[in-house]
Amino acid sequence: MRRFVCTLGGLSLLLLVNAAARAGMAEKSHRESIDAIDVITYPTAVKDVVVILGALPAGDAMGSGGNIAVPTLAGSMLDRGTKALDKFAIAGELDDVGASIAFEVGTQSLEIRAKCLKKDLPLVLGLIAAELRTPALSTAEFAKAKQQFIGSLEASLENTETRAGEAFGRAVYAEGSPNRPHTVAEYLTAAKSATLEETKAFIAKYYGPAHLTLVLAGDVSPSVTHAEVARVFAGWTGGQDYIRPAGAGVSPGPQDIAVPLSGKPSATVMLGQATGLTYRDPDALALRVGTAVLGHGFTGRLMGTVRDKEGLTYSIGAGMADDSIADGDWEIQASFAPALLERGIASTRRELDKWWSEGITEAELAERKQGLVGGYFVGLSTTGGVANTILTSIQRGYDVSWLDQYPQAVNALTRAQVNGAIKTHLNPGTMVLVKAGSLPAAGPPAAR
Amino acid sequence: MKHSFQLPMRHAVRVAPVLAALALGVLGAWAALPATAAGLASAAVPAPATGPAPGSAAVAGFTFVKSVGGIDEYTLTGNGLTVLLAPDHSAPVVTFQVTYRVGSRNEVTGTTGATHLLEHLMFKGSENFNDPKGNSVKQYLERVGGQFNASTSVDRTNYFATIGRENLEGYVAIEADRMRHLWLHEADLKSEMTVVRNEFERGKNDPDSVLMEEVTAAAYVALPYHHPTIGWRSDIEHVPIEKLHEFYDTFYWPNNATVSIVGDVDPAAALGLVKKYYGAFTRSPQPIPAIYTEEPEQTGARRVVIKRPGELGTVVIAHKVPNGRDADQPALDMLDAILSSGKNARLYRALVDKGLALNAGAGTDLHRDLSLHSLYASLAPGSTHEEVEQALLEELDKIKTKGVTAAEVARVKQQYVAADAYKRDGTAAKASELNEWIAVGDWTLYVTFPEKVLEVTPADVQRVARQYFAPDQSTTGWFVPVPSVAEKGS
Repeated sequence: MRRFVCTLGGLSLLLLVNAAARAGMAEKSHRESIDAIDVITYPTAVKDVVVILGALPAGDAMGSGGNIAVPTLAGSMLDRGTKALDKFAIAGELDDVGASIAFEVGTQSLEIRAKCLKKDLPLVLGLIAAELRTPALSTAEFAKAKQQFIGSLEASLENTETRAGEAFGRAVYAEGSPNRPHTVAEYLTAAKSATLEETKAFIAKYYGPAHLTLVLAGDVSPSVTHAEVARVFAGWTGGQDYIRPAGAGVSPGPQDIAVPLSGKPSATVMLGQATGLTYRDPDALALRVGTAVLGHGFTGRLMGTVRDKEGLTYSIGAGMADDSIADGDWEIQASFAPALLERGIASTRRELDKWWSEGITEAELAERKQGLVGGYFVGLSTTGGVANTILTSIQRGYDVSWLDQYPQAVNALTRAQVNGAIKTHLNPGTMVLVKAGSLPAAGPPAAR
Repeated sequence: MKHSFQLPMRHAVRVAPVLAALALGVLGAWAALPATAAGLASAAVPAPATGPAPGSAAVAGFTFVKSVGGIDEYTLTGNGLTVLLAPDHSAPVVTFQVTYRVGSRNEVTGTTGATHLLEHLMFKGSENFNDPKGNSVKQYLERVGGQFNASTSVDRTNYFATIGRENLEGYVAIEADRMRHLWLHEADLKSEMTVVRNEFERGKNDPDSVLMEEVTAAAYVALPYHHPTIGWRSDIEHVPIEKLHEFYDTFYWPNNATVSIVGDVDPAAALGLVKKYYGAFTRSPQPIPAIYTEEPEQTGARRVVIKRPGELGTVVIAHKVPNGRDADQPALDMLDAILSSGKNARLYRALVDKGLALNAGAGTDLHRDLSLHSLYASLAPGSTHEEVEQALLEELDKIKTKGVTAAEVARVKQQYVAADAYKRDGTAAKASELNEWIAVGDWTLYVTFPEKVLEVTPADVQRVARQYFAPDQSTTGWFVPVPSVAEKGS
């Protein structure tokens, strides 16, 4: 099912900046289309370790128009056996060499995450290819996958963050947007009626090399790795592109949505709107940097006031989300005790209004730029960090060379650009407010 | 910003993700912690050295203690500060960490949660580094793009950051200043108390977290592991600033701390920085108080049931096992891996694959004193607590009566060998795992524990299963969901 992702302000930006500040990432990487698969290898200083990340357009959004549970069920069938190996044999081969392969279904992608020693790369690539190309799709395993999916859905019914994200997404994204979530109840109904035939048909339609991206980082030899990819995926065909609709967001006007849940001493609050921006939009970077000033880290304005000065929350932040492929949203997320809920929301709105109306200062912009660019080394200090940075950038439609240009793009931003983006693309007066948890009765908050 | 229940090292690799929520009391004041490193390594580890290893630094004012697995231990002679140096030049970053050997085990009634509250207040400023001066720890580290955090557990409190190597001195200066020159103001406690209370409340949103807290409280009667690291709510709300002053002045001294430096540093230069900023401090004026409480013998099985709104039930079966340094822990680790590592694990086959549970696992929260081992399963729709508990116990009994196979043991050992390579990727994970071994009382277990796992035999696994998992020594907990009053799924 769709994962709710709240990118606390600038986190993804930080990763990108970290990566980009190192000159010559493009020179170190090797990108090649191999039987339609976009393959990027990136050698790092680590010895023996290889990280593989991949993304295939076969996420939840591709289930719309059919059974919405099928994309997740399809992804969960991959490690349950292939035509040649049952699930225990696959697990045994991986366990024997200490390697791992995991699949996860997100909004638009089936995500692939694997890790192994250099010597075991052919084995792991072979297993990934077999799982994608020739899953067993047995009736017995499908029944187990359904039962476990239904159980996880039922568990999520009581999660305040899941339920807040669901209500928020449905309020700010229009019908037809890949980012518009279905409700947990809808997923439950769909999961119970999903069939193996539907799942087979989904895999046949969406699983293929076209638009599959594979990033291999670590102790890798590009020529050897690319040859291995070509070998294990030879002859595979098919695949679909991501869904990239224009105008996916809606401007419903101000809404105050309550999601009451029992037994929750801490409520989740979301406040925000659709932006109409994808990550590559000319204004998106400026808005991201401005948002970081409001809600990123512990020097962001929200943490500095609502938490540090007023003590109203443990967690509050702002960010932009779900904009890598389609138009995304802008959101604040926080937690408050029910008795402090209204005070917390009032303080949050006060900071939001001030930030929106007055903008950020030159000093704030300069500090935030320095921090983002300065974090470059840290972000690149693990192989997983490098691989994730590259994959995310490719999904956003950039070439690897963009990572070398990124610090300059951040540093080139002016205060006028940032404040202009804030004013142009956001409107606190029409934002959607969601409160999920054991909410207090209407009326003034009780003294505490 | 996210509260992180960081797992002890073995949980992190062995146990189904949901069990992460059950890990005992590790609380971070700040952003989500980096993932705990797996407690894994290879057999190819150098034996402890008796003298300085090649490349070890000789810096006046330090006493070289030992070198194990490429990590050098020194003592700052003047005040007893322990320093661990692990140079790693694969990336131009360094992780600097201070581990104080104080945790919720050092708290008593009325001050539960004080260690964690103090951890929060450590970010409110010190004499020379604070918000008004524009150079507080959070201002500095966010300005230089550092990844930083702090966390509190039962046996330790740590503060750390991963930063570009050129920013190391600035951070060392701040970290040292707050060791002995912390601001502890009543006004800061007042605002931070409600922050921590919301952290407490967030934890209470999760029924499994509440269940594990109650199982732990039932399992330990006398040892202070009985109470949660975050504290009881009333203690969080009422602990006076004087008590926190007292806590700080008792435990925050160089002779109660270990500095770990992992990354792209020159050893002599790094030691020079430590001496420059920590060298001015004296040892604690009084000895660091020791815990002399011992857990009385458990004389029968204990049970806990919690009922609250929720959807799916949970079963936990806990047993107290020896401290984290004990010679039987590697065999227990092997047992947990055989039970819960991957799809070939016994619990997966017996519970998940048969549709009894959504996930199941086993793991140990390693402590300086008695540790706590847990078997865990989250009920699948339609399963009952009785049948899931019975299935967990049957798997334990099979190991007691029939043992494990040589193939199972060999497979786990191969995973340890691979994990040795993985742990070389990144400085933060290494520092984090070192931190946990420091907490249980012997950092060299970072290196030697995996060696010992590679020596475990099937007979060892059967022996520890029989020795530690007697029914009369168990504490079993059920989370029983009751209907929510809220309309769902709309």
